[in-house]
Amino acid sequence: MSPTPLHLLWLLFAPLALGLLAWVRPPRHSGWVLLAALPLPLVALWLLLGVETGPMAGRLALGPLTLHWRLDGLAASLWLLTQLLLLASALYAASYAHATPLRTRGYAWLWPLLGGLALGLGLIWIAADLLLLYAGLELMGLCAVGMMLLPGSVEALTAGLRYLLFALVGSLTWLLGIALLLGAWGRLDLAGLAAVAQPDPVTQIAVALLASGLLLKGAIFPLHSWLAPVHDSAWTPISAIHGALVVKASFFILLLLWRALLPEAIAGAWALGLLGSLAVLWGGVQAWRAVGLKQLVAWSTVGQLGYLMLAFPLLAGTSAAVALMAWQATWLQLAGHALAKAAMFMAAGNLLLSTGAHRLEGLTGTSRRLPLSLMTFGFAAVTLMGLPPSAGFTAKWLWLQASLASGQWLWVLVLALGSLLSAIYVFRVLRCSFVEDAPEPAFRPLPLGMELIALVLALAAIGLGLAAAWPLSFLAPAGVP
Amino acid sequence: MSLSPMAPAAAWVLAGLLLLLAGVCLLQRHLWRACQGFVAFALLMSLAWLLLGAPWLALAEALLGALLTGGLLLWTLRGRGALPRLPTLDRTARRGRLAAPLRWLLILTWLGLIATALVGLLGLEALAPPASVTTLLAATGVLIMGLGLWAFSTQRHLLRRLLAFNLLGSGVFLVLAGLAGPGAEIRGLILIGLVVALLGSVLGAALLLRLHARAGQVTLNPVFGT
Repeated sequence: MSPTPLHLLWLLFAPLALGLLAWVRPPRHSGWVLLAALPLPLVALWLLLGVETGPMAGRLALGPLTLHWRLDGLAASLWLLTQLLLLASALYAASYAHATPLRTRGYAWLWPLLGGLALGLGLIWIAADLLLLYAGLELMGLCAVGMMLLPGSVEALTAGLRYLLFALVGSLTWLLGIALLLGAWGRLDLAGLAAVAQPDPVTQIAVALLASGLLLKGAIFPLHSWLAPVHDSAWTPISAIHGALVVKASFFILLLLWRALLPEAIAGAWALGLLGSLAVLWGGVQAWRAVGLKQLVAWSTVGQLGYLMLAFPLLAGTSAAVALMAWQATWLQLAGHALAKAAMFMAAGNLLLSTGAHRLEGLTGTSRRLPLSLMTFGFAAVTLMGLPPSAGFTAKWLWLQASLASGQWLWVLVLALGSLLSAIYVFRVLRCSFVEDAPEPAFRPLPLGMELIALVLALAAIGLGLAAAWPLSFLAPAGVP
Repeated sequence: MSLSPMAPAAAWVLAGLLLLLAGVCLLQRHLWRACQGFVAFALLMSLAWLLLGAPWLALAEALLGALLTGGLLLWTLRGRGALPRLPTLDRTARRGRLAAPLRWLLILTWLGLIATALVGLLGLEALAPPASVTTLLAATGVLIMGLGLWAFSTQRHLLRRLLAFNLLGSGVFLVLAGLAGPGAEIRGLILIGLVVALLGSVLGAALLLRLHARAGQVTLNPVFGT
């Protein structure tokens, strides 16, 4: 049996249905979550294997309106990653609710929001027109804001409101960009736009507007100021899913649009690459200076997102070999960072929950009392620093080769400095946790599941580097689209 | 795309009224009147869609914009259950002059980009003075966007910023319809936009009420609190 559009529809809406079910009866045990949600990643895996022969595409007519969708190897891989990370977060959330007193109503609301997030992300991965992308982006954004607000503290409310205002303005910028494209070329499907659109000033302005909306939603430097406060007060499983997937979706859309509309715009691509470089440096420096552990992890997200932006200059106007390396490096970095960042947020959440500390200095003695979580943090950091054999290493290696082969030397410097900075902030955490002579805080015992989920994700990020050939084989076998 | 012919005089009156109501809604410090201004503005937008030959969009605007979003904002002011009521007069100061150059730079860049693109798409002679109804509405949309951007970036009161966001959105919808006419895609985009604006306003208003109840502040910065 080969996948049909109905299977796609099922995978889009099943998480939402499960989420609504869990809203009525919030699960108290992660076993139930595993039982109910395990089919989702399995179906996603089956879809991925099904598109090995060729991408699926189609259109859906809703009255006079036609929606275009397309499932290729890249989209199916990202969808599988999404389902795996959502499952991990859901499992973690069920244990988290055991380990710490959460507001009952807030905990119930977590589930439909998680389902809505899954639907929004799924739509983004398979959308092939701007209308569907718009719907997915907004659904994802609103669910993400809603999830950030669940703790209900004053800090969470202020940070969430700031996030909401940013996201709403970002969505209007995006809508305006679509208006210009539609006015200029009269269509919204990406394939059609790519065929007819010329890189004239109107298209450039439209893409600039679309890009600024996406940079705002994706927390790319210099529009990142909302990210760290939001993570500081959010629940751990939500931070994990947000840092791993939500900000990446904006980047995915931006790269898709750029390749379709302005593939040869070298100056613009360099500008995005330079923004990314500044993000790497600024995120690294801020993570180095961060006071709290979750802030440190959030700032490291700002820096790691910056690496992804190097894709633009390395894909624009370079030779086919360079473009292929940059293309593979980008998706490998995205997947590796998603797994590692989710693991790191969970490990950090475990450390903070068990010690009751908020600042880095409160982690003293964790090396003896919480070795598993600390080890998970270290494993996740291996990917972030780009040490072998992790996915981060493979991605950086490919980028390095691409930069050298295309003569874009600047990025080599950025890659080196970024790795150095991430090593500095990671070792700052480890140094605090190995302090032995400070007064030890009272440790709260954690469910083993919480530590194991994080460890599995961190190991997956390292394993992705070891077995990179398999996922890379799904990425556009005929070269960069 | 079928445009029912609208008398140019009626279109000019409509555009003038839209701008006037947007101004009232954004400049009025009395929140109750500002929200009422928004409801009237949304009803007028609905009339504009009707005159442009998009009755379903008119219905959606009246329902989602005027009734639900406007009603929600008024209901937020009236107070809910045990939560304390918001003061109906906005006494917060505007943002300082320090960041004003940056703010104006952003606003003017936004408007300049749109104006350039509009001139590129429609041609200068179509815009000065606007010849057809659609270009007139697009030009009105740009002016409303300017007002909305100014209000969104200078005001502190969160309810007024939500109002400014809604007006900014309406300006974008007008530009959207003015550029491409009320075709099926445009209607889909505006419908999603209206739903997003409604949901965003619901979230924002609920948060504002909780923030006001817990910390007594109606702005993002506690210093400018109540």
